Amino acid sequence: MTTDATTGSADPQPLVPLHCLLRGEAGPPRQAVLPTGTPVWVLTRHADVRQALAHPALGRASLYAPDAPPTVLTPNILDDPSSILNSDGPGHQAIRRTVQRAFTPRAIERWRPWVAGVVRELVDGLVASGSPAEVVESLTKPLPVRVISRLMELEGLDTDRLGYWSDHALSTTAYSAEEIAAAIREFGEFGHQLVLERRKNPGEDLVSSLVRAADQTGEMTEAQITSLTIGLVIAGHETTMTSFGNALVYLLDPRRAEHPGAAAGAWRRIGEDPAAAVAATEQILRTVPLGDRTNAPGQLRRATADVEIGGVVIPAGAVVAADTTAANADPEVYPPGPLDLFAPLGTPSLTFGAGPHHCLGAWLARMELELGLHHLARALPGLRLATPVDRIEWRTGLLTRSPLRLEVAW
Amino acid sequence: MSDAPQLVVAVDRVRCIGSGLCARTAPADLVLSPDGRAAPARPATEGSAELTEAAEMCPVEAITVRDAATGELIAPAW
Repeated sequence: MTTDATTGSADPQPLVPLHCLLRGEAGPPRQAVLPTGTPVWVLTRHADVRQALAHPALGRASLYAPDAPPTVLTPNILDDPSSILNSDGPGHQAIRRTVQRAFTPRAIERWRPWVAGVVRELVDGLVASGSPAEVVESLTKPLPVRVISRLMELEGLDTDRLGYWSDHALSTTAYSAEEIAAAIREFGEFGHQLVLERRKNPGEDLVSSLVRAADQTGEMTEAQITSLTIGLVIAGHETTMTSFGNALVYLLDPRRAEHPGAAAGAWRRIGEDPAAAVAATEQILRTVPLGDRTNAPGQLRRATADVEIGGVVIPAGAVVAADTTAANADPEVYPPGPLDLFAPLGTPSLTFGAGPHHCLGAWLARMELELGLHHLARALPGLRLATPVDRIEWRTGLLTRSPLRLEVAW
Repeated sequence: MSDAPQLVVAVDRVRCIGSGLCARTAPADLVLSPDGRAAPARPATEGSAELTEAAEMCPVEAITVRDAATGELIAPAW
């Protein structure tokens, strides 16, 4: 089977959209095996997943210790030991503090008028191009790229180059280890040049402020500063693009609704009522996963001491997978049955994780998705998919899966 | 008794995602409970730069610092 980031259509069996993937049922911790053959404890209950992700004895750095069992077949950028993702404790917080202030709800809220302006501009362009139109190249991809480029002052960034870097950086099976390493090396060189330039000529952007903060404390290595910089570029656009594309597949899937017309009614409501767009965004983030998770059954951690979770003692050295997708459907926390798209969540979902590694960009991602859905539905209340769901071309072989192209009509 | 205003720290335990940033930034005023959620370390405090920083840096804005007498929000400030 061909799996390539650009030839998803070569798969003989049509892939189901992400909202139709079967998810694990929430239950007691169970044992499974990673594709590498390493045993893993899989956690699926909301309380267990949350506890594990916040537990100081379940770390990320320990996954890359010399005695650690193999957890990935082909390493990608998430396996970089210099990454904020793979540091723990005080060292991790030293890194996170350099950028945390830029990502609090208050800090992100200040960007709302500007982000709404970009969304409206892109939606206007889509409308002007006429029906039918392709929504990935015209909206779901350029929106997050424009936003992170503005935050990091990357205007003039070659988006084809960025696409090449991010596809390789998040590859699972799409590319060879050599191809991935070469792309990450080149991406790292770009990041390091950026760091050197902003250190010399600092501005008001996120890269300048993180370099300034890191240099003031002296607690970060140059490799960590560079890794954080390119990590922000990738995280700032890839996941939001994926989430936006999959949200549109979900919302516009004519087979989704329990009764005819329900899907169209929900779409219209998102366009008419900004508060409905906020609620729907939270429910979509909770229920539509970012990828197939063929590489691991959840967010991986490794115990540095014996840890009791969900009535099970996980021994020091064992690997744990926190299945946030299953936890987000835990019937103890969220009502089972048909999804009420506009119901408030009550308990925050675990989509952005929990604990020290809780997604830095959570509020930015929420805002981009909410504004994107609201303004698109407002401009095009009669929007529908122009391609049947089972003929959607997907980007595959990556950690995330989203439509490569999505034809829509109105 | 000091002249400094008495402040009350509150943590919204539904919002709290247990990042632990607060407990490491202002350990005198915030602790991480065994359930992975933050909690005030004491009923009242005189406040500190560290406490303000902890409230301002919380990734989900789960922490508020208020004047005990007036209820005025001291941190996080916009």
